[in-house]
Amino acid sequence: MLLTDLVDVWETNSLTTRTIEHLTMFSIAIVIASVIGVSIGIYLYSRPRIAHPVLNFLNVVETIPDIPLLVLLLPIFGLGEEPTIVASILYSLLPITRNTYTGLKEVDQQYIDIAHAMGLSQREILLKVRIPLSLPMIAGGLRIALVFTMGVVTLGGLIAAGGLGAALIAGIQLYNVGTILVAGIWTGLLAVILDGFAGTIEKKLQRRYGTW
Amino acid sequence: MVTIETILGHTGEHLVLLLTTLFVSIAISLPLAFASLYSKRIGYVIMKFANLAQAVPSFAVVAIVVPLIGIGFYPALIAILLRALLPIIKNTYIGLSTVDPAMLDYADGIGLNQWQILRYVRLPNAYPAIFAGIKFASILINSIAILTAYIGSGGLGELIFEGLVGFNNEKILAGAIPAILIAMTLDVIFTAMEKRLVPDYRK
Repeated sequence: MLLTDLVDVWETNSLTTRTIEHLTMFSIAIVIASVIGVSIGIYLYSRPRIAHPVLNFLNVVETIPDIPLLVLLLPIFGLGEEPTIVASILYSLLPITRNTYTGLKEVDQQYIDIAHAMGLSQREILLKVRIPLSLPMIAGGLRIALVFTMGVVTLGGLIAAGGLGAALIAGIQLYNVGTILVAGIWTGLLAVILDGFAGTIEKKLQRRYGTW
Repeated sequence: MVTIETILGHTGEHLVLLLTTLFVSIAISLPLAFASLYSKRIGYVIMKFANLAQAVPSFAVVAIVVPLIGIGFYPALIAILLRALLPIIKNTYIGLSTVDPAMLDYADGIGLNQWQILRYVRLPNAYPAIFAGIKFASILINSIAILTAYIGSGGLGELIFEGLVGFNNEKILAGAIPAILIAMTLDVIFTAMEKRLVPDYRK
């Protein structure tokens, strides 16, 4: 009885397609944000003088509420998936960049001294000592970014980007309780599952490289 | 053409919703965080729940509230509370529980009781963490308060959505710009408050 209702709601809203759309936007945003974020983090680490202003600027971006950010991107990118992905990337950059930078900076001086004594060059120290030891921090940043991105992608439904947000909006506008509940709870579940998955990876890295 | 009265009216509605929610969530969060300090079980449940609820997108929360309690100002308030409570509780708890044990021993040694320790030792040392939580929550509330216009809470979101539907860029900006300014103002206010409250020896 309940199951047939569920299947019915699922079918009428073509939630399978919506989920695929949602996860596609989500993955694109996360991959791009990770690459850019980690790169900026490493670059800032090598240029301590500009690190502070850049991180401050990203802090300001982070305080912009997500919907205004989305609508401000509309004139530049038009409607649909592009502004949604760009907004997701902008939102995820700060946690990834900040954690990468902090992770690289906070590596215990002892390890650096030992690496120096073994005759490793600055570049080798970065690649073989600092980056591996800051992996748990970087993973933590990615996990926060994951949660943010999930939310921003959902908002994409407001600007015709499809995804699960579109199903939620359809439900609210038609006041269709079944649709609202199924789409809402499914979006929540998806986020929790991904977050749990990321948490497991984070724990694994901490066990392997954690120095605390 | 969007008149200045319209913008001010919507900004007013927005601020009422924002401040009410912020006040209520602080009032609920602090006692809960204190409670979890003295009971491991409450603390465990709250932290687990906090991590879980943080992963759910705001829009999903707002949508799920609709079939349960309807639309309007109060459902919007409940939806925002669901998202804003946890960052404050979590940060307060972390701040209160990670005070240097040596400090607590000194406080015990000079004969302060539990209540005084909380008031004069734990709380001042936890201010940075508590304010980080409140700051984060206030910015979160600001952005969800825009979203709740979708379920009839009024506020700046209403301008944004009307603008989106009618392809009216002026209206979109009239809603978006005040929202961004509010977010930045909140950040500045709480940073200033934190600076005043944190004891000198922590700076």
